[in-house]
Amino acid sequence: MELTLSKGSHLGDLEELVLLCVRRLGEDADGAAVQAELSKVAGRNVSVSTVYVTLMRLEEKGCVHSWKGDPSPRRGGKAKRMFALRPQGLEALADRRAIRERLWAGAKASQSEAFGA
Amino acid sequence: MRRKGPPRLAMRLLECRLPPAIREAISGDLHAAHARRAEARGLLAADLWYWWQLMTLRSGALKQASRRLSAIRPTTERNRPGRAAAVSRTPVMHVNDLKYALRRLLATPGFTAVAVLSLALGIGANTAIFSIVNAVLLRELPVDAPQDLVELYTSDSGGSRYATSSYPDYLDIRRENDVFENVVVTRSVIGRIDLDGAPQVVFCELISWDYFQTLGVEMALGRPFVEEEDRTSGTHPVMILGHRAWTRRFGADPGIVGETVRLNGRQYTVVGVAPAAFTGSLPVLTTAVYLPTMMTDIVLGSRQLDRRGNRSFFLKARLLPGVTVAEANASLEAVAASLEQRYPETNEDRVMSALPADEVSLHPAVDAVLTPVGGLLMGAVGVVLLIACANLASFLLARAEERRREIAVRLAMGAGRVRLMTQLLVETTVLALLGGILGLVFAQWTVGLVLAFQPPIPIPLDLDFSLDHRVLLFTGGVSLLAGVVFGLLPALQATNPDVAPTLKSTGGTASGASRSRLRGTLVVVQVAFSFVLLIGAGLFIRSLQKAETIDPGFDTGSGALIWPLPELAGLESEEEVRVFFTELGRRLRAHPRVSGVAMTDRLPLGPEVRSRGYILPGVPAGTPAGDHHIDNATVRPGYFEAMDVKILEGRAFQEADVQGERVAIVSRAFVDRFYPGEEVVGRAIRTSEDSALRIIGVAASTKVRTLGEDPRPFVYELWGQLGYWGLQVVVKGSGTSEELVDVARETLHAVSPDMVLLEPIKTMDEHLALLLFPPRMAALILGVFGVLALLLATIGLYGVVSYTVARSTRELGIRISLGATTRQVVAMALGRGMRLVLVGGLVGFLVAALGTRLVSAYLFGISATDVATFVTIPVVLTIVALVAAWIPARRASLVDPVRALRAE
Repeated sequence: MELTLSKGSHLGDLEELVLLCVRRLGEDADGAAVQAELSKVAGRNVSVSTVYVTLMRLEEKGCVHSWKGDPSPRRGGKAKRMFALRPQGLEALADRRAIRERLWAGAKASQSEAFGA
Repeated sequence: MRRKGPPRLAMRLLECRLPPAIREAISGDLHAAHARRAEARGLLAADLWYWWQLMTLRSGALKQASRRLSAIRPTTERNRPGRAAAVSRTPVMHVNDLKYALRRLLATPGFTAVAVLSLALGIGANTAIFSIVNAVLLRELPVDAPQDLVELYTSDSGGSRYATSSYPDYLDIRRENDVFENVVVTRSVIGRIDLDGAPQVVFCELISWDYFQTLGVEMALGRPFVEEEDRTSGTHPVMILGHRAWTRRFGADPGIVGETVRLNGRQYTVVGVAPAAFTGSLPVLTTAVYLPTMMTDIVLGSRQLDRRGNRSFFLKARLLPGVTVAEANASLEAVAASLEQRYPETNEDRVMSALPADEVSLHPAVDAVLTPVGGLLMGAVGVVLLIACANLASFLLARAEERRREIAVRLAMGAGRVRLMTQLLVETTVLALLGGILGLVFAQWTVGLVLAFQPPIPIPLDLDFSLDHRVLLFTGGVSLLAGVVFGLLPALQATNPDVAPTLKSTGGTASGASRSRLRGTLVVVQVAFSFVLLIGAGLFIRSLQKAETIDPGFDTGSGALIWPLPELAGLESEEEVRVFFTELGRRLRAHPRVSGVAMTDRLPLGPEVRSRGYILPGVPAGTPAGDHHIDNATVRPGYFEAMDVKILEGRAFQEADVQGERVAIVSRAFVDRFYPGEEVVGRAIRTSEDSALRIIGVAASTKVRTLGEDPRPFVYELWGQLGYWGLQVVVKGSGTSEELVDVARETLHAVSPDMVLLEPIKTMDEHLALLLFPPRMAALILGVFGVLALLLATIGLYGVVSYTVARSTRELGIRISLGATTRQVVAMALGRGMRLVLVGGLVGFLVAALGTRLVSAYLFGISATDVATFVTIPVVLTIVALVAAWIPARRASLVDPVRALRAE
């Protein structure tokens, strides 16, 4: 079996989750939203620093791109940093998913063996 | 007002720890999260949470990630101008800042001029005045270990604890104490040196041979005196030149040591030159010549050194290591007690005491008078500096307000906060520097002005006030600080990242309102301060008016005053002195223009304060010694007629009295005090030395020491009955004082062409000017500073009102379009300004009413709460303030409602 891994597709576990959150959030993906999403959907409480370190690493790998969003009074007039998936990011997610599904496919058999025994 | 958003400090710290690329994002996130928490769980919980976020922030990881990311980010993103500048801090950027600052300052020349001028006035006045006060009162002796030096005093019979000591006492103190390493003496005298045939009056000091060695002062040239030169009276005519005398009078001749100089008609050999830093024992008076104490009798022409009762020496001592001033005083007490036992006739009740040298400026008694004057001066200029700083602050605040939009735009474009601050800081610094430079010029000018008002005292003053650089730095620093604080505070607020509202808003925000309040407060403070200064000035001016109308009790009309110094002119015997003054008087009287000649050894209202002990039979003693200290003078016959002092009872002195029994004339105040309602003519009184005096007349009272005094008892004695000594000569007659001065000069020249005078012949007006000098000086200084303060406060008020009008253009436009009349609009703008003046005026009034008591001792004939002053000043202030506020307020009426509403 041969997998052609493009640059940046070496995703860590947290990176994968963050990337998935960015995808889920679509146009509303900024750091705070990602952090909230991680907590709500994945049950992972991570610090704001961790979220941004991860996002920046993803950007470095070419999985996401970012731009300056709108400031709001609620944010003390500070602009958001918005994130969105790049094709590379989508690819990397797809790769991870494919790997897992293949792995899961194997796992099913052994599980049924175990229960069926 | 309740704070919105996270704690300021935590936010600042947080932002410092964040890499610039995501600073705004994270800070904003936490800001929003804080707000959510505050709503859900209260502000305190939210604040604590925020601090926790700050502490747990993974700054290092964020920065590392940011760095790696920025390496591959598109260049367009990184090179936005503001951001780039914040990152790179090359000197080029600062040059740009400087250029920008200068451009901005030049773009608003009015603002710049006012700010710089305010600063210059504050800095200049403070530097000048402090330099002078410093030179007179705060001067540090350039000596070794000044903390170990003490000044020693013997009390006098007049009740002053800190008076001079006698030479025999000095020798005993030196021998019998166990606390001093050494004791030295100094005595100031006036001498005459002949330079190329031209006599010059110079300030001399008689010093013990080890004076310089004890103080630890090294000679600039040659050597100090040696013991041999100060052992026997009059045998070693040697001198040390003061540095200034050496440079000014001898052209800094390096070969001066070994040369001879004529002093008071005698040749002295120069052995050394004192260093430039050491100008003598007294501040202000620069000593030209130092002589060994053993030359005292020669210089003064009388025996003084071996007389224990002749107390005219200042003593300085250096404490032994580890000895305290208290221990020194205890030891002196023992010496004084022993001296009292051995020499009761001269040393009874004489107390000896020591004061640390660095606590004495001129003399304890003089310091007590001068220190409050110095304090008053410093207070006045300090207030001017405060007002100047308030002006600067007010202008910077207004400017920051105007620039809020500009700053918001630049922030929105991505300019860094540090960058913006740096730039504002550069601008403020440039302002302060310009102010400082101009201030220096102003200070120089002020010192010149003050020196022009040199006190008319009859001693050749050698004043040299160099500007004190520490003060310049201090005042410059204070102004810079004020500039930075008031320039940066609004800048901090303005760079608060609350960009959107500022960009959108049309009117004042909360911070804008608080800035207006701050400016308003500054105006109130300025008005209050200038009010106080003006009241002070007003009081002194009124006091001066009063003083000029006080009748001193003698004729102050035109007259000339001669002050000969026969002992310096080589008249050694009393006979020569008698002949000189008799002949001078005869010739003056013979002159057709002269109507009278008054000769006295003490002019009323003159610089000398002198009293002597008299024993008055039938009157309870005033002092432990059984006598009364009464001011006195010795005069020649003709004095009362020439001075127009009425003889109320008995008769005046006559030439024939000189040879007869000793006689005296007493003043009206003398009779009223000691023998009220009694007949005193014919009564005998005695001097403390026990010679009897018969009272032959009562003269009208005159002012003796000061114009403000109550009638003071006075005793006139007759010149020639005890001996002949130097007199001051008042020439009265027809014509102006100047003409009489000419007559006096011609006559004096005919009698004795070589006569040495203490000072050039002057008019009586000039003599009296001395008396009015302190109030005149105070009125002048407070007047100048009061007007200065008023000017600055006026500018501040003008600025605030014109700014308020400019800011409320929209409001005014609405009012006008709704039908407000021009008058109403102007009145509204005016009212805002005048409210500030009213509050400031009230505060100033209260402070002045309480504070002027401090100066009441210096006022003649008016109380410290003089009604006229307290009415006039508020009226003047109100008029000036009205004009200052009205000019910009008028602009309110010119508002075009259509444009005003469309503009913002």
